[in-house]
Amino acid sequence: MFHFLQFAATRAALAIITLIMVSFIVFSLMELVPGDCAERYLAFKNTQGSQISVADIEAERVRLGLDKPYVVRWGKWIVNAFRGEFGDSCILRLNISQLLGEKFYISLAICLTSLLIAYLIAIPVGIISATSKSPIVNNSLRLVSYLGLAMPNFLLALMIMLFSTIVFGDSLTGLFSKEFRDAAWSYERLMDFLSRAWLPVFILGWSATAFAIQTVRALMSDEVGKLYVLAASARGVTGRRLLWRYPARHSLGPIINSLGFDLNRIFNELPIVALILTLTEAGSLLIEALARSNDQQMAGAIIFLLTASIVGINFVTDIILALTDPRVRRSILG
Amino acid sequence: MTDTATIEETDVNVDQSAKEAYFTAGQGQLIWSRFKKQRAAMVGAGVLILLVLSGLFAPFLTPYDPTIEGRNADYQNGAPNIPKFWDENGFSFRPFIYTYERTRSIETNFRWVTKVNRDKRRYVVLFPEGDKYTLAGITFRTHLFGVDEGKIHLFGTDATGKDIYSRTFHSINTSLAVGTIGVLIAFVLALIIGGVSGYYGGWTDSVLQMITDAVRTVPAIPLFMAIAAFIPDTVSSEGRFFIISIILGFIGWPTLARRVRTHLLTERNQEYVLAAQLCGASPGHIIGRHLLPSFTSYIIVDLIISFPYMVLSETALSFIGLGLKEPVNSLGVMLQNVTKADVLLNYQWNFIPVIFFIVLVLAFVFVGDGLRDAADPYADTKK
Repeated sequence: MFHFLQFAATRAALAIITLIMVSFIVFSLMELVPGDCAERYLAFKNTQGSQISVADIEAERVRLGLDKPYVVRWGKWIVNAFRGEFGDSCILRLNISQLLGEKFYISLAICLTSLLIAYLIAIPVGIISATSKSPIVNNSLRLVSYLGLAMPNFLLALMIMLFSTIVFGDSLTGLFSKEFRDAAWSYERLMDFLSRAWLPVFILGWSATAFAIQTVRALMSDEVGKLYVLAASARGVTGRRLLWRYPARHSLGPIINSLGFDLNRIFNELPIVALILTLTEAGSLLIEALARSNDQQMAGAIIFLLTASIVGINFVTDIILALTDPRVRRSILG
Repeated sequence: MTDTATIEETDVNVDQSAKEAYFTAGQGQLIWSRFKKQRAAMVGAGVLILLVLSGLFAPFLTPYDPTIEGRNADYQNGAPNIPKFWDENGFSFRPFIYTYERTRSIETNFRWVTKVNRDKRRYVVLFPEGDKYTLAGITFRTHLFGVDEGKIHLFGTDATGKDIYSRTFHSINTSLAVGTIGVLIAFVLALIIGGVSGYYGGWTDSVLQMITDAVRTVPAIPLFMAIAAFIPDTVSSEGRFFIISIILGFIGWPTLARRVRTHLLTERNQEYVLAAQLCGASPGHIIGRHLLPSFTSYIIVDLIISFPYMVLSETALSFIGLGLKEPVNSLGVMLQNVTKADVLLNYQWNFIPVIFFIVLVLAFVFVGDGLRDAADPYADTKK
């Protein structure tokens, strides 16, 4: 037990170090943006008719703490970030945690659901395609996974929009109907959300599934030919029981290990899919912050949160792996 | 009896010479012979070569300039013109299209309306003189095809009247160029970082690996969207093109660096490395001259596999307006306006270029996969 705690603590420490490095990258990026928050805010005020002088900008800088050295501001930012506080948005002058709040969880839920569905499909399909000798099954599965790789999610989203506009006369976009957009959560709102959220889940899951099938297939076909599988079948274990108990269990480890990177890949696609489907969640807020308003505080917060959830997943999968894989378990439990 | 004996003998001879050829073949020949056996990869390679050539010779193959210079002001948002051989007015050996006329009168409520004049045919001609272009430093005016009067738009035109057919071919060119520069940058970075990390090992390796892992954890596209957002608007379109290629290069390096490192870690304890070290060779010389050549084929395969991701990332960046911009043509630039309901409902030909890109990416994936299998020295023994 002590060894396990030690292992968990090391992993947690590593995760935090990674997050600190990531925060450095993100924070430096935010600093690279031409113009800072004070200038941006006062430029906005300028358009409202009030006269702004250089002294005003300096005063605003002092108020926001922008006059302090780089390292001090980074330290402050990261301490706040770990508490879930990202300060105020540069443009909207509203608290970022409040602006993001629900939207970030919706994004996370959509991405995790598509990841889950991807593996629910990929594990049986990958096992079948690795063990089946039929060329029809193999080639058609190969074609599907190639299409998943070659057709990036945003092109798929565009195609679905095109198709549904022609056939149904509705482009199937958005996450909520008009009447529920700002309503509080209720049963009706949840149903409305689910009736629209399946499309982004499907689109994000599309290439994730293709990748997952490839991974499962490669791992399984490596394992199926090994001697321990032959030995098990010599002892009389056959069929599904053989596959599930021997090679499938063996290839589970690398799959659990790769979950974090799969989530990374889904996050890559999220903003663009969100833009096309006009979803009102974190991905589209990120694009808005970057492409339209140059809101570095908001963009930094979103990228940091996305990365933090990947680091979190990596940590959890490490722990799960330690618990499920007897080899790892033994090495840490002693 | 004698007949069968000679046949057997020649069989043995053929077998012998085949074996000899096999054992004396170079790495390249072995890979090629394995690659040839894979039908999907060969088809992919054929398509790929065709697309690359059509991208390179895009100015000649397409009738018009893809920028605003070559636009057809009289035919905006125009439907594709499909050449015909016959209609109710009779048959013609030369394919033709109809003349489109824009009219505005009291009947059309004073709006510009495009009308098809089926009586006025425009015949397709080969090698007409048209917009100027430069290929390999020489200026030409001749294009592969065109029509005798007015303009032909095989894939229709976009909202400003630019020919979608011409733009598609030119954008293949752009994608390939962006991908090549991106892959080269990723390659150099990966070689330096992965090379140092794998060759020295120890704590250098640990630190570099930690940095690589941290970079790999950040979702690349959002991160690079952020970098691309900071390119000032004053940068020219060519400058933008290079910056975007460099950004794409930065997306690709961590995976490649890891591969280089793993290979070096296993190779660096070999005796030939020790021999070189004892001869007084510098680390740079050993990495570049002895270690890297031992897995060049893997690196090439990795580069080809990462190519389509570069192309797709560029498309994604340009699509959301953070990548390339007009007048540079790329798929992402062309797709910028297609999410409007108006385009979705009425001008679906704006989506034609997507087909070309899916084919391009698929071809790359097939070739990459085929090459990966072919470069694997254990591929023959595995099956």
